[in-house]
Amino acid sequence: MKHLEKGVSLRHAPADFIRDLNVDNVSAGIVAGLFGISASVIHVGAGTAAGLDPQFIMLWVIAYLMINGLFGLLMPAYYRLPLPMANSIPGALLFAAIIPVVGVEAALGASLIAGAIALVAGLAGVMGIVMKLIPMPIVMGMVGGVLLKFGLNMVAPLEHAIVPAAIMILAFFLSARFLRRVPPLIVAMLAGIAYMAFTGIDFSGVEFSVTFPEFIRPTFTLEAFLAYGLPLALILVGMETPAGVGLVKGMGYKEVPANAITAVGGFATMISSFFNLHSTCIAAPMTGICSSPEAGKPDKRWVAAVIAGAIFVVGAPFYGYVISLIEAMPSYFVAIVAGLALLKVITSAMYMTFAGGKHEMGGLFAFLIAASGLQILGIGASFWALVLGVFISLVFETKDFEFIRRAAHEPSA
Amino acid sequence: MRRFKDWSIPAVTAGFVAVLISYAGPLAIFFQAAQSADISPAMMTSWVWAISIGAAVSGIGLSLWLKVPVVTAWSAPGTALLVTLFPELSLNEAVGAYLTAAAVMLAIGVSGSFDRIIRLIPPGIASAMMAGILFQFGVGVFESLATVPALMIGMLLAYLVFKRLTPRYCLVWLLIVGVGLAVALEGASLDGVSVQLASPTFIAPEWTWQGTLGLAIPLVLVSLTGQFLPGMAILRTSGYNTPARPIVTVASLTSLATACFGGITTVIAAITAAICTGEEAHPDRDRRYVAGVANGLFYLIGGTFAGTIVLLFTSLPGEFVAVLAGLALIGAIASNVSAFAARKEHLEASVITFLATASGVSFLGLGSAFWGVVIGAVAYNVLHRRFTGRREEAERASDSAN
Repeated sequence: MKHLEKGVSLRHAPADFIRDLNVDNVSAGIVAGLFGISASVIHVGAGTAAGLDPQFIMLWVIAYLMINGLFGLLMPAYYRLPLPMANSIPGALLFAAIIPVVGVEAALGASLIAGAIALVAGLAGVMGIVMKLIPMPIVMGMVGGVLLKFGLNMVAPLEHAIVPAAIMILAFFLSARFLRRVPPLIVAMLAGIAYMAFTGIDFSGVEFSVTFPEFIRPTFTLEAFLAYGLPLALILVGMETPAGVGLVKGMGYKEVPANAITAVGGFATMISSFFNLHSTCIAAPMTGICSSPEAGKPDKRWVAAVIAGAIFVVGAPFYGYVISLIEAMPSYFVAIVAGLALLKVITSAMYMTFAGGKHEMGGLFAFLIAASGLQILGIGASFWALVLGVFISLVFETKDFEFIRRAAHEPSA
Repeated sequence: MRRFKDWSIPAVTAGFVAVLISYAGPLAIFFQAAQSADISPAMMTSWVWAISIGAAVSGIGLSLWLKVPVVTAWSAPGTALLVTLFPELSLNEAVGAYLTAAAVMLAIGVSGSFDRIIRLIPPGIASAMMAGILFQFGVGVFESLATVPALMIGMLLAYLVFKRLTPRYCLVWLLIVGVGLAVALEGASLDGVSVQLASPTFIAPEWTWQGTLGLAIPLVLVSLTGQFLPGMAILRTSGYNTPARPIVTVASLTSLATACFGGITTVIAAITAAICTGEEAHPDRDRRYVAGVANGLFYLIGGTFAGTIVLLFTSLPGEFVAVLAGLALIGAIASNVSAFAARKEHLEASVITFLATASGVSFLGLGSAFWGVVIGAVAYNVLHRRFTGRREEAERASDSAN
């Protein structure tokens, strides 16, 4: 356990939580929580596209809110850092795609092994090396490329639903500019709902319901492990942690417990696999929201992450209600809200990739590969984006790697 | 006969290399446009003839007149724009838009308002639109993995190796290796390639508002910001304080003349210009104009044998052209994305412009480049435009506090 970083404490967390509450971290926490719930449109979309049973998709999302939320309460409370937990989105896409091939139980078995690998990686303290090998611009290039699709989907409704699309996007811009206290995303959603109320929308299919996560017994197959478990483990260790840790470091936090984040995520992923959920790990966009300057004073931003986790846990049983609401909405509504929610993250990912002047070529390749959605050996684009991005950067931008530069300087010093 | 004394082998070589790189890389984009328009080889020959002759005449004329290595070429981002517009846009509409664009550029050139107009366009928005147009080509490289995996991986490796070893001749080597790979892996045959003299084909122009808004205006924008702006910057950083006026004027006059034969706007070169303006062309700055003249002469030869160039490209698979075009544009994508990413003060509007342009949405018959600029301009004005001096100071203060 010597590689796990020590935090502050859980014992005084409730009292400190109340002491550190302020308007900034509460509103950031609410936005992050709502964002995390709205991210489920990705799960619903991917699951529906893969032909999964709507009932299963609901259990899946409820488990993610419940389990991710629980760990999302504990991690920031213990470390007093903005470390919200969520699940891996590329992992979710892989998961949805593999279920029709190997079945739910085998897919979850592969998740269990992937979680164990992440747990061991964290306990063994390899994250420092992983983080040095994969420079931030390349990680962020990959993140930008993966998220780009949601940005492009946001623009697509301009073709067939220009009036509501224009209203929502304009409402977002105007409120971002002039209403600084109100989250622009909420304004855009309200504008869209107002338009729908005005033009008439059918909510008769919406039902109130309460559902809890269900226990399931994973099974193990080699096929599921190779096609999904191994890539998931690589994504968790090589991508999710570096992305989350990078975001927090980028906001000025010096000490970020990379090993603990990986180990706890791995452990939580193992638990997840018994409840229809593919993974638990540090969030990326939510981390961005909770650790950003909009969440107030740096030492109090952890409160925002705790609130986001609480929203997850409390909202989980009622998700069936939320999802039937979302289903009643026209498709452009969800596409635009998701795109707007990610706009800031895409923007900052592009900034971190291309504005620093380091690892530009590797970052560009990571960005293009991740955006192309290519698949090699059944492993998705986000993984190859990192591998090829790092490779190309090693060839062309050798001097940009810190450990290489240091190694070159050491003999003379 | 002072002029002959100025001729030197390095300068002529520089001119030759610039032409070779243009034909190896940016021309592949033009061929993609031809593929999406589904035109005949004869028509394609006329297009290549027109752009080559346009580049030749304007390049030779300007270099001799100004005694400066002015390398002209066709608008590469403009041809990228074409790929997204065909086949909805007809050839006649395209030619009409070329003429409109040339006339607008001519007005800009004659009035000498180039520098003023450039300053009006927020730099991030212009780069973001360029990046959005070019982005699809970059992604296309990796998407072709599904159809031609061996060819794509082979060309990517070749690109990386040559980019590392001989960055300048990378595209030329890539073309040679790529042709070899296409023949070996995809069964392409070069038997049909023979020497042919080009004969231009006349295309009657037709003016429609789709053509004007969807092609002519974005074409002017990308030509100004993607070609003239970097092209003039390259000349100036090489120590030539040439005014933009004669260059823009002559290039636009050439565009008007070649438009009806399928020649897209002639502009100052950006990708290849540095080869002819730098030290390698000639140690003596005053004798580098020869590189510009030689560049034009080689374009003249290329244009005359345009039919052979077309035969070469048409006997190769379409995926080859897509991969070649995408790899040729990697550098341009990188520089445009970094250019807008570096402009943090209106980054969000730039990203929105990029997203809208890259999305490929078409609405009311207008392509995404047009909508990208419109949406980007709205976003820029709503999000970032300073309305009062006080607000500007407040924002700057809050920015620096962050």
